[in-house]
Amino acid sequence: MAAVTLKNVKKIYPNYENKNKKKKQKKEEGGANLQITEQGVVAVQEFSLDIADKEFIVLVGPSGCGKSTTLRMIAGLEEITEGELYIGEDLVNHVAPKDRDIAMVFQNYALYPHMTVYDNMAFSLKLKKTPKDEIDRKVREAAEILDITQYLSRKPKALSGGQRQRVAIGRAIVREPRVLLMDEPLSNLDAKLRNQMRAEIIKLRQRINTTFVYVTHDQTEAMTLGDRIVIMKDGFIQQIGTPQQVFNHPANLFVVGFIGSPQMNFFDAQLSLDGERYAVLFEGVAIDLPEEMQQKLRERKVPAGPITAGIRPEHIEHRADGEITAQVDVSEMMGSEIHLHATVARKDTVVRIPITDLPADYEAHIRTGSTLQLHFPGGLLHLFDKQTTLNLIWGDEARHTGA
Amino acid sequence: MTKRPSNKNLTTKPYSYWLMTPGLAIYIVIFAIPTLASFYFALTRWDLINAEFIGLENFKTFFTQRNTSIALGHTFIYAFGTSLSKVVFALLIAVGLSSKYVRSRTYLKSLVYFPTMLSAVAVGITFTALMHPTTGLFNQVLRLFGSDGVKWLTDSDIALYSVMFVDFWKGVGTSTVIYLAGLGAIPKDYYEAADLDGAGPIQRFFRVTLPLMVPSINSVLTLSLIGGLKSYELLWTMTEGGPGYSTEILGTVTYKLFAHGNYFTAPPLSTFAAAADEAKGGCKHPQGLRCGSVETCRKADGRPAAARPANAEARRSGPMLWQLSP
Repeated sequence: MAAVTLKNVKKIYPNYENKNKKKKQKKEEGGANLQITEQGVVAVQEFSLDIADKEFIVLVGPSGCGKSTTLRMIAGLEEITEGELYIGEDLVNHVAPKDRDIAMVFQNYALYPHMTVYDNMAFSLKLKKTPKDEIDRKVREAAEILDITQYLSRKPKALSGGQRQRVAIGRAIVREPRVLLMDEPLSNLDAKLRNQMRAEIIKLRQRINTTFVYVTHDQTEAMTLGDRIVIMKDGFIQQIGTPQQVFNHPANLFVVGFIGSPQMNFFDAQLSLDGERYAVLFEGVAIDLPEEMQQKLRERKVPAGPITAGIRPEHIEHRADGEITAQVDVSEMMGSEIHLHATVARKDTVVRIPITDLPADYEAHIRTGSTLQLHFPGGLLHLFDKQTTLNLIWGDEARHTGA
Repeated sequence: MTKRPSNKNLTTKPYSYWLMTPGLAIYIVIFAIPTLASFYFALTRWDLINAEFIGLENFKTFFTQRNTSIALGHTFIYAFGTSLSKVVFALLIAVGLSSKYVRSRTYLKSLVYFPTMLSAVAVGITFTALMHPTTGLFNQVLRLFGSDGVKWLTDSDIALYSVMFVDFWKGVGTSTVIYLAGLGAIPKDYYEAADLDGAGPIQRFFRVTLPLMVPSINSVLTLSLIGGLKSYELLWTMTEGGPGYSTEILGTVTYKLFAHGNYFTAPPLSTFAAAADEAKGGCKHPQGLRCGSVETCRKADGRPAAARPANAEARRSGPMLWQLSP
């Protein structure tokens, strides 16, 4: 159990590495806009983060954003080009992975196929020359926690994906590491198993009480697991915050687009300033903003002008006196709610409406082509600068919250 | 729902047999008939035209030859020696060549594989020159260090090992390539997991690489062992089985039997050693192929004829057949 501190960490994949590797790397990056300098491809830069002892941090972002690279730098599997990495009080930039007292769960499990589950879990302890009875006790204890005791004598190929992932986690926790790293551990599982394992990880976290660094591209995993979330793009941190902060106060348009499902709706709007009173003009409707937002905008001296306004699908209200008119294109029945795709200001807009909020004969009202009256509550609007895409209300303040 | 055709249906349908026909015909003509014929001729006295059935006489003749056990022993030493050395050293070379710390890996890989592409005869002739007791490069280098030199191919105690070394040099590339493919197929994750688990380079090799390389090791062992048992060209080019019988192996024995027209004694040998290739190689010998006897063979060689054993009895009691040839 230890805190982890990253200070201005940078990772550059140098140019001199062979062409094949570079090609592969580029492929993996999936066309991300990584910075390419004379020294090479910059995968991660200006990465500063203080991870508290026993905290569960989730690094989240699209493919090629540098999240796995960051995790691998913490693990010692990638060299840190610049910056400092501390585990506890120790600077570990040049410490070998085995001496960092960390464990890692790999995306593809990385279970040794020639060893039984027991041997896989006991491997690190055997290398440390731990007494046999202690190895046995620890392995069985971990197996018990993960409910894999009955598989201890099996080889990994005789296990299902979910069981293998449990073994991989077992192998990591049996060492009682100071930091437990997880690199997209659930991405190879089917949706049902993923939900189940996610719950298992939450339970596991309560039992083993260590520092977790978890990498995922799945925002649901990030939101449900993390004490704090680090959202990354193109090697840069976009925002650090608790799930609630990231959801409520997204730092920029990228964060908004990444967190929340269905994605937030965006519109071109005007920010008007009448005396000291700000309002959002959209589709000829002036949407008033609550006092808290007014104050923030005043403090930041935000000028009037064109902005990007955003509102989450669940925050749009469907009501008879709604001032905005929308035309229904598609309605998706999700069971407890309906996702309506409607055209507002010539843009596809998603509206989430709980079934309970609709009259019994709602189907007649939301047929394709029918019109709806919608209300955008001012307090739930998100305002972004058109050029910088930054949150106009929270600004840079939103980038590093909850640290 | 459509019913899925069962395997039984597929195999009982006539067209599946028709599809098999071309392959089957080639297999029968090229492999099955010659193999069965070889078994049959092993039980006959045969001069390419007439075959007289004599039961197991040929086998008896072969096994009572005083050099059979020597050739057999050499064959096993040669086969196991070369294959085990390839298994071990090729693995070390492959691990070295796949290490990120080694520069110019691609060039080194080509260098290791290059000897494999050479003809065994060319390699044999080259190394015979290199291993020449007086003018050979090997001994010249040794003399620079004050040594008297080694009789690489002329000392009966070390001649076999010298040829084995050349065989190793020539064949290690193939084994290395198989290992490199095997090493390339091991996911990087296992090594990373081992690094985090606390394994050093030696533990990584013995606990991760080696167990995961078992399929490749099996392939290399099987292929090089078969190659070693069938080996013939190098030995023939470099020593012709000599000096004395010190490098005689089943391949050279078979060749000599064929070359001297003993078509009826060679089949049991080739049957025994599964050395059909060598038998075919023997037939390619222009003298051996044309001659039906030791006498004509030697005539074609332009050398004086010696007494030809008149019958099988004489052959059994007399010297080795090929010994009649200078």
